[in-house]
Amino acid sequence: MLELGRRLGRRRASAAAVKRAANDRTMALVAADPELRAALFRLVDVAPACRGNEELRAHLAAYLEGIEDPGPLASFGSRAIDSRALGRASGGVAATMVRQMAKRFIVGETIVDAARPIERIWRDGATVTVDLLGEATVTEEEGRAYARRCDEALVELSRHAAGWADRPAVEADSIGPIPRVNLSVKVTALTPLVRAAAPERGRADAVGRLRELMRRAAGLGAHLHVDMESMDSREMILDLVLDLLAEPEFAAGPSLGLVLQAYLRDSEEMLERILARAAAAERSVPLTIRLVKGAYWDHETIEAAQHGWAPPVWTDKADSDRCFERLTRRLLDSYPLVRTAIASHNLRSVAYAAAYAEQIGLGPADFEIQVLRGLGDDLQEAVVEAGLRCRVYCPVGDMVSGMAYLVRRLLENTSNASFLASRASGSDLDALLGRP
Amino acid sequence: MTRFVNESVLELRRAVERERLAAALAELDRRGPIEVPTVIGGERRFAPGFDSVDPGDPGRVVARANATTPAEVATAVAGAAAAAGDWRATPAEERAAILARAAGELRRRRYELAALAVRECAKPWAEADADVCEAIDFLEYYGWRAVELEAGPELIQLPGERNTLHYRGRGVAAVIAPWNFPLAIPIGMSAAALATGNPVCLKPAEQSPACALALYEALEAAGLPAGVLSLLPGEGEVGAELVGHPDVQTIAFTGSGAVGLEIIRRAAAVAPGQRHLKRTVVEMGGKNAIIVDADADLDDVVPAVLASAFGFAGQKCSAASRLLVHERVADHLRERLEGALETMLVGQAEDFGTDVPPLIEAASRQRAEEIVAAAAAGGGELARVEAMPDGEGFFFAPTLVFGAPPEARVITEEIFGPVLSVEPVAGVEEACERVDAQAHALTGGIFTRNPRTVAAVAARTPVGNLYVNRGTTGAMVGRQPFGGNRLSGNGTKAGGPDYLLHFVDPVAVTENTVRHGLAP
Ligand SMILES: Cc1cc2nc3c(=O)[nH]c(=O)nc-3n(C[C@H](O)[C@H](O)[C@H](O)COP(=O)(O)OP(=O)(O)OC[C@H]3O[C@@H](n4cnc5c(N)ncnc54)[C@H](O)[C@@H]3O)c2cc1C
Repeated sequence: MLELGRRLGRRRASAAAVKRAANDRTMALVAADPELRAALFRLVDVAPACRGNEELRAHLAAYLEGIEDPGPLASFGSRAIDSRALGRASGGVAATMVRQMAKRFIVGETIVDAARPIERIWRDGATVTVDLLGEATVTEEEGRAYARRCDEALVELSRHAAGWADRPAVEADSIGPIPRVNLSVKVTALTPLVRAAAPERGRADAVGRLRELMRRAAGLGAHLHVDMESMDSREMILDLVLDLLAEPEFAAGPSLGLVLQAYLRDSEEMLERILARAAAAERSVPLTIRLVKGAYWDHETIEAAQHGWAPPVWTDKADSDRCFERLTRRLLDSYPLVRTAIASHNLRSVAYAAAYAEQIGLGPADFEIQVLRGLGDDLQEAVVEAGLRCRVYCPVGDMVSGMAYLVRRLLENTSNASFLASRASGSDLDALLGRP
Repeated sequence: MTRFVNESVLELRRAVERERLAAALAELDRRGPIEVPTVIGGERRFAPGFDSVDPGDPGRVVARANATTPAEVATAVAGAAAAAGDWRATPAEERAAILARAAGELRRRRYELAALAVRECAKPWAEADADVCEAIDFLEYYGWRAVELEAGPELIQLPGERNTLHYRGRGVAAVIAPWNFPLAIPIGMSAAALATGNPVCLKPAEQSPACALALYEALEAAGLPAGVLSLLPGEGEVGAELVGHPDVQTIAFTGSGAVGLEIIRRAAAVAPGQRHLKRTVVEMGGKNAIIVDADADLDDVVPAVLASAFGFAGQKCSAASRLLVHERVADHLRERLEGALETMLVGQAEDFGTDVPPLIEAASRQRAEEIVAAAAAGGGELARVEAMPDGEGFFFAPTLVFGAPPEARVITEEIFGPVLSVEPVAGVEEACERVDAQAHALTGGIFTRNPRTVAAVAARTPVGNLYVNRGTTGAMVGRQPFGGNRLSGNGTKAGGPDYLLHFVDPVAVTENTVRHGLAP
């Protein structure tokens, strides 16, 4: 396992990788100063709401007020600017900086824009799942519009994918074919009726839209992956998907996926529930389960603290990591009842899964590694080199809707507990590969 | 005593909690109407006088209450006055312990009490549960603060003299409470008075006597001496009797502006033989505005505004009733708000999916209808929820009003219903001017991502509670001391460190410690 981890973690030498490493170091510098980190996030967050560079400048100046030395923030711009003058700097530099950051994480504004970078990923030996960014859904029309965009994306992507070169290595596992087209969807974008205390409302509203998307995916032979979000929608999403899975019309397709969040204290129970339902559904296409740690850790802990609840998530990072490994074993052991996708940028978590899969005799195509575009680019190259299937989660959308996503990624990338941040700040690889 | 922590609200996203609450409601319904007596000196008197009903189904009687007579009010005040000395002499620590035990009683009965607030006041579950928690918080918080207060503040000391300042309970407190927080507000005002050593005559709202009885029972079970609290259910004249009684020292009131002003006026009169000035602690309404700047995150604005304006059908003094939107984002926000309005489910409070429950009574609905109709007649455009539930409940369609004229009642008056006036403004400056032009100054909101804008609005706003990038309701005890300025009242800040000062008289003692030129 250690060997595999070292191999995956070898520093990349491509020009792009070197540039990324430089960016990551800058990020680590920013992250080291909590005030600066906060200023950067606020700037990114507000950027799309500002009209013109002057407004952006005014916000930046307000965020930097009282910060002694905004040094590292300055180096985010495409050209070096005097750090002291950043508060007075033209908003244009800030705007460029934000756009550049966004470009790293978002593949394009529309599916048409995204088609080329996606095909490039395919040519590089990896594959993708596409995620459509958008504003929060607060109206029925917004829910319908998101469903429409998903539907169009499935059709568009299928059209593009038909032209991709054959890559047998990523197109089948021991069970059978694996769809080229893979779309990740968010249930909270499909319906404005997500109510934590009344899951039935959101479910009743979303079920029709999700069913239509499943029909479309089945017709096109595409894979549909339902993302998991915060605890407030978890039960609703889980029941919704498991119920749809059991509908006879979907017995032969489409390929469908769920997400399991290892940072939840009850995630093992949840997996047993999912496995039982997957077994009962008797479908010819297995359910795919994407194993993640979970992206809403801050939200869950803050909400729990404000309400006086026991946090639903682990509060020790190592507990999430250990749970992730237990779930990894249980999932891989459950092949071919379910397909497993290990979604992490943590070399230890990824290497552990790969080593365990090998140990129990799974072929390299019988599970996959998933990474986020912009965060897992190095890992993507390494995973492909190692002969494993790597799927890159590719957000598509405009600046306005992309910012919430971007802020979340930046936060994740710079949080103290994060593997990537530790790596960027120069921690010893072998130590990071150690047992959590 | 341990540091105060807010009582945790139930985790309603867990099905098991919802099932427990539903079971508690079923049990409550099975028991039938609750008899609410007048209780004076621990003695209960009951004859059916008036009823409280379920606002979602007015045919269902929730409680039958005794109608307290003027003679009984006099007896209650006399009893309270007699008990005042002993209660004041009881150490704050002991009084706090009784309040803490009462909090424990409420905690033990929390599912049942939430169900009661659902039935008697049509409070949706989350808010009914929050009401129980706030009631617990007030008991514990004021108990703790009173212990702190008893020590008195530090004074400047010079050689040869010893200076102390103590706070002392004033005497009989009349508590006149509303129905909209049927547990938290009556117990909050009562607990503040009790914690600081004042006996209390509690006159609950006629719409929610059963909730008040539960509060009485909790304090009784906690060992509060019988004479120290009386429960006086009744209509307005019970309150009027209390306010006019010469032995009442302090009047704590939360309710409408008209009644509040009348209380202040009448309390100012000194009856023959009366040897004190009555103090009023009066919390009246609000006309609360949320300002949305051009840099606001509308994804956050929409849900926060809907919750602030339409939560519990707008029947909170903290509810937002005006939205002042930067003209650059006004059209986009309008479109999203109108769409989001359609997602609001009007229904029975007991349904977990309900966003907007019925109003408390027919008269409230009538008044809100008139205000909306007048706004429309004056040129305002309306957006309203179309789908309304059947039945006799006092349901009222949540309404957005666009472009009402500045003098329209929808812009100037507190409505206490789910109605929101949406007004474009040239910028935050103009919005602040509009807020400044109002007589009320209770809560306010600002959505902006510029810290300088936040600072500027905070510096000039007249309101007592300004909320930044969040809704304007749901103040937490100890965290968001609550209460307004201007015509919103003189009774601030509930749940804050200063509130107890309304219920005490300060006494400074200065002792000359010099004897024969020595200061040992
Ligand atoms: C392809 C892909 C798809 C994804 N889809 C989803 C999704 O649908 N839903 C979702 O929620 N997330 C999703 N994520 C995000 C994922 O949950 C993680 O947030 C992210 O990948 C970081 O985890 P890591 O293993 O890469 O890094 P690591 O640095 O090893 O782990 C970081 C994670 O550890 C956890 N953590 C941090 N601090 C603590 C602490 N003090 N105590 C306990 N745990 C802590 C958090 O979950 C945090 O995200 C996805 C990630 C990828 C790569």
